[in-house]
Amino acid sequence: MNAATETDRALVDRVAKGDRAAVRLLFMRHHARIYRFVARQTGSEMMADDIANEVFLELWKRAPSFEGRSEVSTWLLGIARFKALSSLRKKKEDWIDDDAAAEIADGADTPEVVTMKEDKAAALRRMINALPEEHRTVIDLAYYHGQSVTEIGEVLDIPVATVKTRMFYARKKLGEALKAAGYERGWP
Amino acid sequence: MSAAEKMSRRDEMETLLPFYLNGSLEGAELEAVEEWLASDPAAMTALGEAEAEFSGTAAANEAIRPPADALSRFAKALDAEAGPARPPAGQSWLASIFSRVAAMPAGVAWAAAAALLALVLVQSFERPGGKGSDFEVAGAQDDLAKLPFALVKFKPDAKMADIAAFLGQNGLKIASGPTADGVFHLTIPASTAADYDRLVGLIAAQPFADAVMQGRKPVDGG
Repeated sequence: MNAATETDRALVDRVAKGDRAAVRLLFMRHHARIYRFVARQTGSEMMADDIANEVFLELWKRAPSFEGRSEVSTWLLGIARFKALSSLRKKKEDWIDDDAAAEIADGADTPEVVTMKEDKAAALRRMINALPEEHRTVIDLAYYHGQSVTEIGEVLDIPVATVKTRMFYARKKLGEALKAAGYERGWP
Repeated sequence: MSAAEKMSRRDEMETLLPFYLNGSLEGAELEAVEEWLASDPAAMTALGEAEAEFSGTAAANEAIRPPADALSRFAKALDAEAGPARPPAGQSWLASIFSRVAAMPAGVAWAAAAALLALVLVQSFERPGGKGSDFEVAGAQDDLAKLPFALVKFKPDAKMADIAAFLGQNGLKIASGPTADGVFHLTIPASTAADYDRLVGLIAAQPFADAVMQGRKPVDGG
């Protein structure tokens, strides 16, 4: 089996036996997503850089105890989430405010420029970034990280029903924001 | 279905749509969404909205670019990490022992090797064919009475690591040894006389080989 087709779990098994090359392969597969997840959690690309590295060093240390109950990607996101929260607590920072979150992904456009060139897709993107953190995270985890309801519950350490509730309100807020901006939408 | 029930059902379906789109929905929930999409004219519009959210979320995430040198910096950090105690990749308990012996001064190593092999030979019957990344010790599954073999004596200053690597590369196994004279009994993975001669010649050509004596040799056509 070559590296491209080797499953994540097989690679973690190799890591558990002390194979550093397997850690590097997992890093190449998952680093960008972990980095982006942490960047959106913390609002800081500098923190994302440090924490994403720590996540994979943690993988190196904890691989022997990985029981395979969840997907490797879910496991890594869970570690990233925990480390992001710990780092934020240490720095005594609160969750990133919505404006800063929007800035991470949207670049340096002024509000006027945004308004002028914004179409519905761009408006939606801005509104996703402006969602409260707990709502934006479930949107990110479902749409970008491909996580199931159960997996999101594992990553965020919340019940499945709470995941659904957050998803419901996240989508509802997006609909209301689009409607307020003059874009028609069928729901809510 | 009342208007309130219809609205409640729609809320539920709208909540599940992101999971329908990411392919993680299954069972009754998947069936419910598929049935809704097939039966409610408003459902396809809702699906289109969810697809737009999908694209928007992907774009928002991918606008964040990880540093280009992330892997090289991580590789350096990884090299500095010892990690938890565990044997090196693919290395068996036996190879691990020999790697420690290999680090010893030659004289001490050979004395240690003699003692270790006595242990190895006992344990190889308990753990047949104990396989390492470098070489194997013949185990109970190997029919030693029938296998081709050669008797080999290594130079006193030979390095265990070199020998182990050579044995592993050529599929040679230690069946027993060393004797009081320092002679090892190696099984030779040869099915023909020509293979046997080639491998025995190869052993003899190694700088760490002191003496090689032919043992059982395959008989061609036999």
